[in-house]
Amino acid sequence: MTAIFLLVMLFVLLFIGVPVAVSLGFASVLTMLLFGDQSLLSSAQKFFHTMHVYPLLAVPFFILAGAFMTTGGVARRMIDFANALVGHFRGGLAMAALLASAFFAAVSGSAPATVVAVGSVMIGGMVASGYSKGFAAGVICNSGTLGILIPPSLVMVVYGAITETSIGKLFIAGILPGIVLTLVMMLTLIVIARKQDMPRQERASWRTVVRTFREALWGLMLVVIILGGIYAGIFTPTEAAAVSAVYAFLIAVFVYKDIGLKDVPGVLVDASRVTVMLMFIIANAFMFAFLLTTEQIPQFASELLVSMGLPVWGFLLLLNLLLLIAGNFMEPTSVVLILTPIVFPIAVDMGIDPIHLGILMIVNMQIGLVTPPVGLNLFVTAAVAKLSLEDTVKASMPWLIVLLGVLMLITFVPWISLVIPELLFE
Amino acid sequence: MTESINRLEEGVLATLLALMTILTFVQVVLRYAFNSGLVWSLEATTYLFAALILFGMSYGVRTHTHIAVDVVIRRLPKRAAKIVNLVAILACLSYALLMLYGSAVFVDRLMILGNHARDIPLPKWLLTVTMPLGFTLLAFRFLEAGWRILRGERETETGS
Repeated sequence: MTAIFLLVMLFVLLFIGVPVAVSLGFASVLTMLLFGDQSLLSSAQKFFHTMHVYPLLAVPFFILAGAFMTTGGVARRMIDFANALVGHFRGGLAMAALLASAFFAAVSGSAPATVVAVGSVMIGGMVASGYSKGFAAGVICNSGTLGILIPPSLVMVVYGAITETSIGKLFIAGILPGIVLTLVMMLTLIVIARKQDMPRQERASWRTVVRTFREALWGLMLVVIILGGIYAGIFTPTEAAAVSAVYAFLIAVFVYKDIGLKDVPGVLVDASRVTVMLMFIIANAFMFAFLLTTEQIPQFASELLVSMGLPVWGFLLLLNLLLLIAGNFMEPTSVVLILTPIVFPIAVDMGIDPIHLGILMIVNMQIGLVTPPVGLNLFVTAAVAKLSLEDTVKASMPWLIVLLGVLMLITFVPWISLVIPELLFE
Repeated sequence: MTESINRLEEGVLATLLALMTILTFVQVVLRYAFNSGLVWSLEATTYLFAALILFGMSYGVRTHTHIAVDVVIRRLPKRAAKIVNLVAILACLSYALLMLYGSAVFVDRLMILGNHARDIPLPKWLLTVTMPLGFTLLAFRFLEAGWRILRGERETETGS
């Protein structure tokens, strides 16, 4: 009864347009007042306590680092480097766009930010070199989703904080799936480029490759600092995030000099706006998760599923379906925050590794980012490419097959997600 | 008037975020370069973080940054959309008031207990008073948004 009221309330609120954060909070508080034995005081405490959850402090810092990276022309230098590496192949510019997205994903924790950073330069460049606008938009829209898979990733921070899974391990677990997805997309591009006889560029000289690499190195170093620092135990993910923010500020203002000191307050305001939006959802999701736990709702669902004799592969398929549907209507962090408290205990009961579950959820969220009606990457790509939303959806659709294929691979081959963390941490 | 409120709100948000970042960064530098640290740094950072979120919530309502699912509402005829919007804003307002009550009780309890924060020489209630203040501002902004929808000046209360 409690569970039904809570979930129905939540979905009604969501669909009448109440902000995701308030929907989570209001449904929880109301359910608790009607059925629970906790007080409003304990809800308020839970809300306030969220800002004392140490791993979540990484959220504002990674967002700030990303804000400096996006405005600071880091992406442009990564594009130059990617172009020098693969530009001479058939369809080289498209491959460079993909590669640049993967590079930028390694310094940014957000998918739409990756689309903006790479797309605002690359879509125009591809169109000028004779690619159709739709094709360019499709490549950018989909390769941008790497932002949440390749570490650092805000979705991983949130998943790690709510499930108390090591964020460092999650980051490192994201590397191989990120590389696999990049390679599969690269292969797809090679096939399409041959079929459609796409343009190629002049081969960059060895000196150009070295020069562009050295230019891009300042940005690329960031991922080395983050992953190396966490792995070597020099700092926690939260400290790594703060160091990234300061580092990104220094290279944007003093090394690349793309922005001046007078632009810094604006970057800070942008970053705090995104931080507040995310953390408001997270704090309410913590009240929601707290209620689920005290009412033992996931345990109940878990027993039900086990008594139905659902095998693990069946559960995984069902989970993918649920995540894909949810991902169609909400952005990644909201989905992860709403569904993780429900499905995590069930998955753990069934013997699924928390790290594997995290990666699986993220790949599902990537697909949600490029499917209508609510696909953030679609909106952002349409805006950056100056293309209608319908045309962007059409251009992006063929890539769905690739993403779904990789999702199945990630779902049923846990090895891809687990091998590197197991090698490094055990 | 609106312009100066805007500048004030943005100034506060930017300052809080900058302070948090600098504090955490300095802490890392102190630990590795000088093998020392500031005991109060982490606690101060978390209270600044809370202040940033609590103060920013209402700013988010005013600047339409809170994410909402609008696929259903966009398909409704205008009159129906207005009614649904008003119901939604009523839910938002009720939420803000319930949380305001909860946080006021929370702060009151802390005042009665009267203990100090762990590492900062300030009473705990004073550091937590940002919460009822934040929800008061939030309720006010929702009320304002509701008034706008009622008069037909604003289509939705969120929208991003």
